[in-house]
Order: sequence, then C-alpha cells, then structure tokens
Amino acid sequence: MLLPAHDYVKPRTLEEGLGVLSRSGAAVRLLGGGTDVTFNMRNRLMQPAVLLSIRELPELLGVEEWPDGSLRIGAACRLADLAAHQAVNSRHPALAAAFKAVASSHVRNMATLGGNLNLDTRCWYANQTQEWRAAKGGCLKTGVDACHVVASVKTCVAINNADTPPALIALDATITLASAGGRRTLRLADYYRADGVTHTVRRTDEVLTEVIVPPTPDRLVFIKDTARLGIDFAYGTIAARRAADGRTRLVLGSLGPAPVVLRRAAVIATQRGLADTHIEEAAEAAREDLGVVSNLYTPAAYKRDLARELVRRALTALRDMP
Amino acid sequence: MSPKPLLRLTVNGDALELLVSPQQTLLDVIRDQVGLMGTKEGCTTGSCGVCTINNARGEAILSCLTPALEWDGQSITTIEGLERLGDLDAIQKSFVHYHAVQCGFCTPGVIMSAKAVLNRHPRPTDEQINDGMAGVICRCTGHIKVKEAIREAHAFAADPAAKP
Ligand SMILES: Cc1cc2nc3c(=O)[nH]c(=O)nc-3n(C[C@H](O)[C@H](O)[C@H](O)COP(=O)(O)OP(=O)(O)OC[C@H]3O[C@@H](n4cnc5c(N)ncnc54)[C@H](O)[C@@H]3O)c2cc1C
Repeated sequence: MLLPAHDYVKPRTLEEGLGVLSRSGAAVRLLGGGTDVTFNMRNRLMQPAVLLSIRELPELLGVEEWPDGSLRIGAACRLADLAAHQAVNSRHPALAAAFKAVASSHVRNMATLGGNLNLDTRCWYANQTQEWRAAKGGCLKTGVDACHVVASVKTCVAINNADTPPALIALDATITLASAGGRRTLRLADYYRADGVTHTVRRTDEVLTEVIVPPTPDRLVFIKDTARLGIDFAYGTIAARRAADGRTRLVLGSLGPAPVVLRRAAVIATQRGLADTHIEEAAEAAREDLGVVSNLYTPAAYKRDLARELVRRALTALRDMP
Repeated sequence: MSPKPLLRLTVNGDALELLVSPQQTLLDVIRDQVGLMGTKEGCTTGSCGVCTINNARGEAILSCLTPALEWDGQSITTIEGLERLGDLDAIQKSFVHYHAVQCGFCTPGVIMSAKAVLNRHPRPTDEQINDGMAGVICRCTGHIKVKEAIREAHAFAADPAAKP
C-alpha cells in the first residue's frame, strides 16, 4: 500500500531543516531511519504534510569522546553502528547491549538513536491497520475521546516500547534539542511524559540532535524480556546502576507510557544492600509500586510480576558482576 | 502536490533515473518501476524480512520500511544482482546444494540477509548467522538447512583459498 500523500524534504544543513520546522513544525514528521515512521504512515497512524529527512545531517552524526570522558552521540547514528562502537562497548557495555537489543540486525542497520528515543508509543488497539481500527472507532491517539484498552481513562495508556531510554536514563544522559530559536539541554529522564499521545516534551519546532553520556565508574546492567530476542519488542526492560557506595538506581522500560524510575525499590537496595532477602524486598516493592494497566501483549498482573522479576534479576546481576 | 521528484538510484550496478512519488517505498520502486520482482512484499511491518536487499555497504536493510526518496544517490543490490553472466553467487550455489529452499517465496530475502552476513564474516559463527538471520522468517523449509548453507557457503566461493 502506498504511503499517504506528502512532500518529502531533505535539508542539507540543520539550520535549513530547523527553518522548515519553525515555519510548519506541526505538519512535519521527522524521518530518521524510518522503521517506525514508514510503518505508521502505511497504517495511516501518521499522515504528515511533510516528511523531513534528517538522517544524513552532519550535526546529527558521529560519536565523540570528550576530554572529561563523556560520550557525545549524534542522534542520527545508526543503532547497528552504536552497538558495535568501540568506545560505547568499552565504556558502557550494558548500553551497547541495549542498542543491540532493538529489533533485528536488519532494523538496526536502518534505525537511528534519535528515532528510538522518540519512538511513538504503542498499543494493541492503535497499532493495527486502518480498517481494523475503523471497526472500533477512533481513540485518544486519533483525537477521539475514547480508549479501547481501559474504558475509563482520559489519558492515553499506549506504551513507550523503546529499548534504549532506560539505560540512558540510568546513566544520567542529557539530550540537546535544537530549534531555530536556539538550543536547550535536558536530562533524558525529564524528556518523557506518561501520556501516550504526547509522550515527550519536544516542541514541534525542535529536533533532538545529540545525546551526552557522562562517564561513570558505576556498574550497569540491562535486561530485556521478550518472546524472541532478535526481533521482538520488549515485554519489559530494566536498567540498573550501582555505585561503589551502594547507591542504586532502577529504571523500567516498556511497562507504561513512559520509562519508570523505581524509587522505593532503589532505596531498599541502596540502604539495605544486596543480600537475597533484601533483593526480594526490593523486587516486591517494585511489584507493588508499578501502577500499570493492561496493554500490548500482557495483562497488568503479569506486568507487575515482570517488574518484580526484572528487579530481582538485575540486582542479582549487579551483585554478582566481577 | 509538487511535480514528481527525480530519484537517482544505482540498482545492481545500473545507474537509473526514475520519476517517483514520495508515496512509494524503496520496495515499490524496485518492483513496480525498475521491474525487478525478486524482492518480495511480505508483512510490510518489518517482521518477515522477505523484502531484504543490500545497501552500498553490503548490509541487509528492509526495502518496505523506507521511503524511496531516502535512497537518492545511493546504490543497492537486489537478489537479481548476485548472479554474474549466468554464474550464481557462492551463497546461491550453497542454497542449491543444501536445498535450503522449499516454496521459495522468502528465498530472495533470506539470501540477501545471508549475503550480508557473509560480506562481514566470510566464515560466520553460529552466533553471527543467528544475529544476521533473526530478522527474516521462512514458514516452510525451516531454518536448519538455511544455516547449513550459510555456514558452508565459503566452499562455493570462486577461489576458496583466497578467502580468509
Ligand atoms: C520488526 C520491528 C521490530 C522492532 N523491535 C523493536 C525493539 O525490539 N525495540 C525497540 O526499541 N524498537 C523496536 N522497533 C521500533 C523501531 O524500529 C526502533 O525503535 C527504531 O530505533 C526507530 O528508529 P528510526 O530511526 O527508524 O525511527 P523513525 O521511524 O525514523 O522515527 C521514529 C519517531 O522518532 C521521531 N524522530 C526521529 N529522529 C528524531 C530526532 N532526531 N529528533 C526528534 N524526533 C525524532 C520521528 O519523527 C518518529 O516520530 C521495531 C520495529 C520493527 C519494524
């Protein structure tokens, strides 16, 4: 099936692209690797007037190692290149694992980091063909005041299913958003909103240009649970980080409209340590605290149990790391 | 709507200039305009891999998930580009030898995925084969013979001794 009618624009410079965005941002869809956009356009979930191709903009490319030990990763870098990148692997092997966890090698050869960080939220109702959706009528995501997943909700519960945000949030990564008016820097942790319709704080005139990952001596693990590793979207992911003094951070992915930073479980692991009983306690706290609803693949009760299991496995892995 | 833009695309070594619509994916252009029917349309969701072709770096990419105009100035290889003057590529010979084919529908995508694996790893390990082939699915002959054909493809290279 043909894509919906639109104009294709490929700016030669970032400034030229930002000009297009400042004039008509709301009608523009940024095109990274296109592995999500092409799919959603075919299903008429996205019908932009303009596709703005950004994957070859020099400002969005390249990995740099800064003197302070930070990594600067251009938003248009391909996940395949990042997963294999020497500096990424030597500094943050768990981050490399998260890059490698996305979809298949075919998809990673096309997909960009910026596209993954901005991946549209997904849902068992919305991510269907136009005909399938039409049989039930529209939903919050298509501007209709209805949800076919949880009848009572007023805010979209589609899931942030991207694999790379949890590890980058755990690493305290920051992002740069560029617009014709200037640049702003944001913690990735503050980028997401728990609303499946407007799931980031990006303005329509902005482009995510780069991700900065500060150096750290802390341990980091990343775990993805899914049906078939090697192609499938996650049922749930976790990134867990622990400093030498015991400070622990836990970030879940794919279990709600935004990545979830687990507070109580992290405090338990930080203050009591990682003996088996405390790991159980932290894992149980994660299960209790996760305010999830049924959507995409698994029911709410399964999601809570999965949160517990992911915390249990991640803390055990952190403890047992050489 | 603006007039149809020009797409300059090198397909299997032939430099082409095509008037395309932004609405066409690379797969649409390969099949409907260039007329090469080897590359198949399967799920159109990126899950089956039968639309796989190789980019200029010899990597596997999904032609159904990318707008054609993204490929202006690029060079691609489809299944039709592997054979040279009647002589099949080593991976094709290996598929014939190990009979890694049943109905044949997925075979072009499977072979272009396998070709990408061999471009990077002339003697691939099982892990490298699994990683490179996870994105393409055969619903009838299964994956065992396919893996065997990829693992042994080096034996069919024109000059096996010259390969690492
Ligand atoms: C079969 C299949 C399996 C998949 N499995 C997974 C999986 O396991 N895990 C996973 O995380 N994803 C998965 N995906 C989804 C998707 O392929 C990846 O998330 C990919 O990283 C998206 O990147 P892209 O460059 O192709 O994004 P695009 O499709 O180009 O863009 C995605 C979104 O991000 C926006 N965007 C792109 N770049 C920028 C930027 N620089 N600034 C601001 N906004 C931007 C776009 O406008 C669009 O809304 C899968 C997809 C398929 C087809």
